[in-house]
Amino acid sequence: MKLADALQILNEAGISGSEAAYPVLLSCGFSPLHLETFLAAHLQRGLAGRRVKVSTGLYGDLAGTLEQELPGEAQGAAVVVEWPDLDARLGYRSLGGWGPRQETEIVAQVQSALDRLGRAIEAKSRRVPVAVAMPTLPLAPAFHTRDDEAGEAELAIRSGLAQFAARVGALPGVVVASSQRLLELSPPERRFDLRSELLTGHPYSLSHADAVGGALARLLLPAAPKKGLITDLDDTLWRGLVGEIGAEAVAWDLDHHAQLHGLYQQLLAGLAGQGVLLGIASKNDPENVEKVFQRRDVHLSSDQIFPMEVHWKPKSESVSRILATWNVGADSVVFIDDNPMELAEVKAAWPEITCLLFPKNDATATLGLFRTLRNLFGKRQLEEEDGLRLASIRASAELPGESVGEEQQDLFLSRAEAVLSAHFDPPSGDGRVRELVNKTNQFNLNGRRYSEAEWQQSGAREGGFVLLVSYEDKFGPLGKIAVLAGEREDRALRIHTWVMSCRAFSRRIEYGCMDLLFSHFSVDELRFDFAATPKNGPLRACCARFLGAEPEKPFVLRRDVFRERCPSLYFQVDATV
Amino acid sequence: MNEASLREKLIACFRVVFPRLAESSLPGASVATVVAWDSVAAITLLHVIEEEFQIEIDMEKLAELDSFEKWAAFLSAETQQ
Repeated sequence: MKLADALQILNEAGISGSEAAYPVLLSCGFSPLHLETFLAAHLQRGLAGRRVKVSTGLYGDLAGTLEQELPGEAQGAAVVVEWPDLDARLGYRSLGGWGPRQETEIVAQVQSALDRLGRAIEAKSRRVPVAVAMPTLPLAPAFHTRDDEAGEAELAIRSGLAQFAARVGALPGVVVASSQRLLELSPPERRFDLRSELLTGHPYSLSHADAVGGALARLLLPAAPKKGLITDLDDTLWRGLVGEIGAEAVAWDLDHHAQLHGLYQQLLAGLAGQGVLLGIASKNDPENVEKVFQRRDVHLSSDQIFPMEVHWKPKSESVSRILATWNVGADSVVFIDDNPMELAEVKAAWPEITCLLFPKNDATATLGLFRTLRNLFGKRQLEEEDGLRLASIRASAELPGESVGEEQQDLFLSRAEAVLSAHFDPPSGDGRVRELVNKTNQFNLNGRRYSEAEWQQSGAREGGFVLLVSYEDKFGPLGKIAVLAGEREDRALRIHTWVMSCRAFSRRIEYGCMDLLFSHFSVDELRFDFAATPKNGPLRACCARFLGAEPEKPFVLRRDVFRERCPSLYFQVDATV
Repeated sequence: MNEASLREKLIACFRVVFPRLAESSLPGASVATVVAWDSVAAITLLHVIEEEFQIEIDMEKLAELDSFEKWAAFLSAETQQ
């Protein structure tokens, strides 16, 4: 991004007159100048309808800035550490001395500065998400060794920094920018601008300020990870056409010059392990494919894939069925094939799907694909539910849907041995709560998304509550699948958040949630802050049962109406506060 | 680059750094007439101009370049070299 483009983005956001602000602290010891502009612009690009406001601290006092109280409405903090923040002698604006006499003292000072910084970052991370960039500039020629040699002092400093980064990166609310990624985005020789550092106190070249600002913005506002991957088989998951050469002859190893396919299998197995849904769309005979998956050397088990659409019909049809089984939007899915025509056919039917070519004969491009997939599916924190997703989708595929009629559903659910667990006011560090609130589309009361700070603020209201619901039946656990939040208003509850994972449909869990609220709080009515969204049809349909029609605006549900119209519930309820 | 396109490009730079300034008042803009023209704006303007004109400008000249017309004259001389 050019500086003029960044300024233009911010100017346009200013003109749009949006009142809702997104305040962020940029904490750096140097003059923030263009870094502030680029950080604000990158954040602004990811925030439609809100206006980014970056506040900065005092020059030369990184730790002091972090130790100050944040404004109440702050949504995040970006911390940029550079060498002079650890010892002024490692910068170019002080003349405290370079050479052997200072080395030991500099090493000790760096350690002490890192300790203070670590405490300040930890304290800040309890309030807001914190993104940290470790020093990105070359070390000043302060030590007695030549450039080629990493001397004792430099090694001690870098070791201290690595330990510091590992320590703060392990904190729940802290993310550390990848130095490897920054190396790719901003080559070391183009980072430092000594002219600017001496005249203005801003040490970054424009391109480096852009790279660091962009990286921090992506850490503070990460894109939602994709949920599912649909892959082709022949010349993609393995080398060769199984229908022509047979199950024993397709390959994915070094010996057969097919290692790229083995690596792809390994990557997919890793993605499945982190809860990514894997499906297959292949034009093949199912018997041949089954034989390949029976081979002992395959790196991706057929248990990790569901469903497998293996037949000779168009792949767009396979994709339609897979999307229906997963019950996820096409925009959450990636489709991979080695044949550009198949990609085009699927893209034409499902424009929102990310279609990627498997570049079977190009090792560099294949590595690029692997990294793209890691970025599309990467998530910081893995939850227990990530490991349950596929099993619960398999189980859901066996469930009788609404279409079979209430009587048959009653019969099925009465034998399901279902346990609904209610966790009132779960720990604020439970990442699953915000994941559900910010990712659920279909069963969502109003589509509202919350930053971590906003969610904490909403939970802190007087009379406020958060209910996290888990579900398990004889077919297996679904894990934590619903969140309701709001506050008490006399003999009523106002509900501002209600989301439920689509994996939990067809089990009457939504009615169980309402039942839980009425009985736990002994209230006479539930007041729902409902708003229609393009995707919340399933929630509207649930509410229509009580209202006689789908709601169009906030509504109230009285206890007597709920009791009269609620379908039979067969849960054993387990409530913990 | 001719004079007209240089001024057009310079106006674009000024507009992005001083978005609240009416286009008609840009040619008369100077440190004395534009409240927002502080040291940060001056450095930002310099870097935007460097990017847009693809030249490197000596920061020491910043104090002299305190009006639109002085920038226009400076760039005219620079781009003719």
